[in-house]
Amino acid sequence: MRNFNLNIAGYNIGFEASANGPELKPAARFLRNIKPNNSSDILIRVHSEPFNLPKGAERVFRAPYVEVINGIQFNNETNFWSVWKYRSELYIWTIFPLSFSEKNAVLKFSLTSMEWDLWIYGARDEMDPFEYPLDGLILYYLTVINGDIMIHASGVNNAGHGYIFSGVSGKGKSTMAKLWDDSGAKVIHDDRLILRNSGNGYRMFNTPVYNDDEPRESPFSKIFIIEHGRENMLVPLKGANAVTQVMANCIQHNWGADIIARLLGSISIMCGTIPASKLFFKPDRSVIDLILDNE
Amino acid sequence: MTGLNSILSQSTTIVTRKTGNEYVLVPITNNIADMNSVYTLNETGAFIWELIDGKRSIEEIIIKLTNEYDIDKQNAESDVFTFIENMSKYLIIR
Repeated sequence: MRNFNLNIAGYNIGFEASANGPELKPAARFLRNIKPNNSSDILIRVHSEPFNLPKGAERVFRAPYVEVINGIQFNNETNFWSVWKYRSELYIWTIFPLSFSEKNAVLKFSLTSMEWDLWIYGARDEMDPFEYPLDGLILYYLTVINGDIMIHASGVNNAGHGYIFSGVSGKGKSTMAKLWDDSGAKVIHDDRLILRNSGNGYRMFNTPVYNDDEPRESPFSKIFIIEHGRENMLVPLKGANAVTQVMANCIQHNWGADIIARLLGSISIMCGTIPASKLFFKPDRSVIDLILDNE
Repeated sequence: MTGLNSILSQSTTIVTRKTGNEYVLVPITNNIADMNSVYTLNETGAFIWELIDGKRSIEEIIIKLTNEYDIDKQNAESDVFTFIENMSKYLIIR
């Protein structure tokens, strides 16, 4: 296809092949998010020729490719993706570590322009312009632009009450989601969420990670920073401590005072209305009872 | 050497946010947020932090602290110098 529009976490993301650009073929995990192309929040023009970063562009962030095998982290690519800045324009350079073909891409964007350009070099006839890691990167910068939050967390809705369980890898996000799933709650996602203030309260959204992910969202009213424990225990977090604990679990590229200040501000406002607690838990039904008893 | 007449400024290598009566301070090193060194300031720390404006001397800050809170000058001086020592990486002293 020549163009399509994705709605993910309430963002309308339009993709459009340039005149000499490639055929676009979104991956299966995005098919449920394709919506009629009305008004895109962001339009990304896709090109298939190589693109060189401007001379003088400064690299402001570099990410290694981290794989977790049997619980051990391996950094097996020193140059995975990086963010570059030149004047007011930003560029993301990346490879595609899960792709069968060797290709790389440059995304040109800014925090103020709603029209971005993406050059993918080395692709075959058809390409997915939202292939990993571009999907997470584009969504991340949309959260930055909109003052939203992308967080390592599972989220559930139980009888109309939304709960977020946040923690980095190994803290029990998936375990917690499974416990709630078994008890009949609706799991919004078990690993990563986007949190947005709708004006009528905060909502959590999933983002397509697995092929069977359908778009899901829910309001939420509590945030738990989770950790495995010998006993179930809730410790309320207040003020600045709540903000720092939540921020530590947010997905962030951490570069530039403006971007850091935006996230800090968004979390601070959210923690002013959504209570946060530290939750030590045993991986059984008793933790659900504890949370429901405190509802 | 830092003395009562020294004047303090806040470093620009730190992002701050006031939340209630407290502050969250995120240091930036080489343009990257150092999430392992995030500071939180309680109400008194926040009060001192806001008085550090590149104009007031340490002595003036101590006097403001004694006026705001019911503590004597000796304790206020101790609080302010402890604060300066803890936050020295993020203060410019002249």
